[in-house]
Amino acid sequence: MAEEKSPSGFRYIGTKRRTKEDPRFVTGRGHYAADIALPGMKHIALVASPHPSARIVSINTKPALAVPGVLYVLTGEEFQGGTDALYVGVDAPKVTRYALARGIVRYAGEWVAAVVADTRAIAEDAAELVEVEYESLPYVIDPEAALAPDAHLVHKAHGSNVLYHRKFVWGPVEEAFAKADHKLAFRATWGRSSTVPIETFGVAAQWDAGTGLLDIWASIQMPKFPDQAARALKLPGNAVRVHFDVDVGGSYGLKRGIKHTVLVGFLAKRLGVPVRLIEDRLENMRGGDMHGPDRFFDMQVAFDRDGTIRALKIRAVDDVGAYAGRSPLQLGKPVGAICGPYQIRAIEYEPTSVMTNKTPQEAVRGFGQAPTNFALERAMDRVARYLKMDRIELRRKNLIRKDQFPYLIPSGTSYDSGDYHAVLDKALAAIDYPALERERDEARKAGRLAGIGISTCLEPSGGNTSFEILFNPKNETTTWMDSCLVRVDLSGSITGLMNTSSSGQGHETLVSTVIGEVLERDPAAIRVIHADSLSALPSNSPVGSRMAIMLGGAAAGAARKIKDTLVAIAAHNFECSPQDLEYRDGNVNVKGVPSKVLTWDQLVEIAHRKYHQMPPGIEPGLQAKFVWEVPTGPTVPTPDGRVQMYPCYSFETHIVYVEIDPDTGKPSLKRYVCGHDCGVMINPDIVHGMTYGGIAHGIGASLYEKFAYTEDGQLASGTFMDYLIPSAMEVPDIHIVDHCTPSPLTTFGQKGSGEAGYLGAPAAIANAVNDALDPLGVSIDTLPMSHLALWERISSAAKKSA
Amino acid sequence: MKSAPFEYLRADSIASACEALRREGDSAKIIAGGQSLVPIMAMRLVRPSLLVDINEIAALKFIAVERDAVRIGACTRQALVERDDALASRVPLLRQALAWVGHVQTRNRGTLGGSIVHADPCAELPLAAQVLGAKMVLRSSSGARTLAAEEFFTGPMVTATDSSECLEEVHWPVWSEPRTGCAFTEIANRHGDFAMVSAACQLALDGEGRCVRAAFGLGGVGQTPLAFPRLAARLLGTKLDEAVVKSVAQDAAAQTEPGSDLFATADYRRHLAGVLAARVIRAAQEKAGGGK
Repeated sequence: MAEEKSPSGFRYIGTKRRTKEDPRFVTGRGHYAADIALPGMKHIALVASPHPSARIVSINTKPALAVPGVLYVLTGEEFQGGTDALYVGVDAPKVTRYALARGIVRYAGEWVAAVVADTRAIAEDAAELVEVEYESLPYVIDPEAALAPDAHLVHKAHGSNVLYHRKFVWGPVEEAFAKADHKLAFRATWGRSSTVPIETFGVAAQWDAGTGLLDIWASIQMPKFPDQAARALKLPGNAVRVHFDVDVGGSYGLKRGIKHTVLVGFLAKRLGVPVRLIEDRLENMRGGDMHGPDRFFDMQVAFDRDGTIRALKIRAVDDVGAYAGRSPLQLGKPVGAICGPYQIRAIEYEPTSVMTNKTPQEAVRGFGQAPTNFALERAMDRVARYLKMDRIELRRKNLIRKDQFPYLIPSGTSYDSGDYHAVLDKALAAIDYPALERERDEARKAGRLAGIGISTCLEPSGGNTSFEILFNPKNETTTWMDSCLVRVDLSGSITGLMNTSSSGQGHETLVSTVIGEVLERDPAAIRVIHADSLSALPSNSPVGSRMAIMLGGAAAGAARKIKDTLVAIAAHNFECSPQDLEYRDGNVNVKGVPSKVLTWDQLVEIAHRKYHQMPPGIEPGLQAKFVWEVPTGPTVPTPDGRVQMYPCYSFETHIVYVEIDPDTGKPSLKRYVCGHDCGVMINPDIVHGMTYGGIAHGIGASLYEKFAYTEDGQLASGTFMDYLIPSAMEVPDIHIVDHCTPSPLTTFGQKGSGEAGYLGAPAAIANAVNDALDPLGVSIDTLPMSHLALWERISSAAKKSA
Repeated sequence: MKSAPFEYLRADSIASACEALRREGDSAKIIAGGQSLVPIMAMRLVRPSLLVDINEIAALKFIAVERDAVRIGACTRQALVERDDALASRVPLLRQALAWVGHVQTRNRGTLGGSIVHADPCAELPLAAQVLGAKMVLRSSSGARTLAAEEFFTGPMVTATDSSECLEEVHWPVWSEPRTGCAFTEIANRHGDFAMVSAACQLALDGEGRCVRAAFGLGGVGQTPLAFPRLAARLLGTKLDEAVVKSVAQDAAAQTEPGSDLFATADYRRHLAGVLAARVIRAAQEKAGGGK
């Protein structure tokens, strides 16, 4: 592959270069949790509750234990006696959660017992023989019903189904609503979807009684995972070693199998044999606790006749299912981009996190921002329609201008940089917008339903803890660092150590590119390895689109220390000041005297072997670590809940053309352009790949994917026959247009892009579908917009006109 | 998702397969491509005591183009059926239907006979068989018998096949009329999903564009794939003008008894049935060089 020179003057950053990890993935040499094979390893299958809500009367494990090859059957009684409850993200200590239920089950699919056997197949055979007697209890499936005063309580001890509720008022909201020319209100509903990686969650654990150490290999993407596992297992932190060199087969936020891990860790220690659990698809989708936001928004907008949006009132109710975890916090992150990319000066935000008897929710790509963007963008289109104003003009009028950055939004967050108008213009040019409008209008004349959708959305990136302390003042935390260690060995080759696992984000490419950039050495020759949790520097894992910023910044910081050391060694040997030297390609020479040079190899040799040539005060060997805090740092929220959320703000605009078959309701996406600005791209292929995947994911959330529940509390879409992930046949050609507004806060001007595409696609597709339905006088604000839902809207219009 | 324990027999001849079925009775299952059977076994929705593997039986893999019919061995891969040009010129509906069956990858493994004996009422090959009046040759230790599609499909996932019988081959009638056209279409959420409704049609026209022979049917809207010979007869002698096609399609839709599920209500299915029936009739007419 030809290497192109970066347009921004970097040597490696931003150039089109082969990624470091992909060759091993595409040649089948990845090393996943399911590749962990420990001698004598046993396998787990789970017994799941068939009831959405029931009392466990008795469990008879004898028939299962009688099956040859079965080692053990663990129930919640023993498990909960031996472990501590899992972490809860909000102040709800009575909402206790364990991997195995004891006494009460709270959703269909909840794990009741774990069977340990020689093979997974035997474990499944035996799991069928575990006899559980239940006494069914009332249940609640609908989130609004769960909010009713007489609702069945999912956790009686908590006293309410509400996990979190607060009304934030930022700015003169009532005044703006009183003075505005117009107001409108509507409800937007985001269906219960998620990301569903091909790899389910997998974890293997081995207890070494000799050393008192529990080794864990897991397909994990989770901050504080080793700490939480150790705590729940009642072990000191240094008795749990999590191996981060396990490849993760996709995560997009949700590979947080902490309950699985505590279960497997407990069994490995209890039984003294290595134990592995690889969820099968049925366990994963019902009981893996990996559903995403399930949310409706009651939106109110106050605006003037010229299109100025004065204020918003947003009531967001999110159904997190039967247990808490971190899921209520998915209502918290959007605080940092609650007005989207728009100049809206007054906002009321009323998030409510409510429990129902459904599968619990986990963090999903964007951590609640994609649903919020969908609601905001539907509001923009509804305002435009109300005013009969062009949707693009309305957006241009309200978008923050590039000369307004840094821009402080009402909820206390400052946006770092952006040029939203330029990105929008680029995308409009790329799709030839006037021609697209003609295409749509001709299709309409020919009797087809055709629509164009636009969204302009933000991707907060960099991550921090602000929503944790905002949603739970008792959880006083403001630190969210990441780290890197760079080591140059005696042979002169470079190794970067990262301190968490990767789930497809290309961190090895990121770290090697950044180190190569700083040290002016070829990234292809730089190895990047993953520490284990006991040898690792602090990390908060690849969440919140933070690694390009945080791991990239840490790798650059460590590499700069190496570079400074090399220059110091040269200065000492040339008996000059470091300012008199120049560093080029790893060699250091006296400025203007190229022949007076110490080469990379010579400098490395001095560092490792020639202490007599080392400057005083510098450690021998050649390694450096750098621990970096989020550039803006998180802030402690003000009493009215204003806080600096994430540091960096990427921007994306989507323009999509859809046609809907008026006779069948079948939608097809005909054209798709995404304009994207995530600052300086470290590796454009990785950014584009993430954006492409994010758009496909957004197509799923908007048109296909839903964890649907029956009225009697059963998951109706627990397999890939009914949970519909878009395939290559449903994803159109996607044209991504880049723009670069560097962040002033980061090492190279980079911003995050891990959630790109997903944050704006559902909004644009919903707007396109509504544009297509507009001539019929009907609309749809509920995702996913299934064929059936679209046909019902179309036929309701036909009935109206008849 | 591991299947319940089962015995496995790799049969080397039709006779040995039939003998195993006779011995084992109801609880034996034949496995060919496994594209439907393996997932439902993995979910433990079926628990055969014995799997009789017919993949090694060469006698079940053939495409024989004859004068009035094409005979296809039950274990012939769908991909081979789809790619066979001689077959496509005689029974063009098969290629059209197969384009909707799963994906290229599943068709490489899935067999023609497997899909037909699985008898999913929304599956494409059973609908094609029903519309064309294909004949199923069933073999058992005590001999062979032939059943027409209308007798063969008896309910959702149920056929007239006895537990001791193995589907040996399927005979697809060849229409001799020079101006013959056919079409297949369906609506599914995603390409390759189970169809909410599918529709198939084959027509022959005379020199003036008058319909001289017609067959059409609908899938996903009843207990079995449905053919509508009486309604098709109403097309004969007409030039398939708008009114005729519409009324025939609407009457077909009215005769369906669809169910409701997560993705489609009965009303939606019935509506789609009318839309798709009209579309396949029109498309078949165009293929036959009529209309316009």
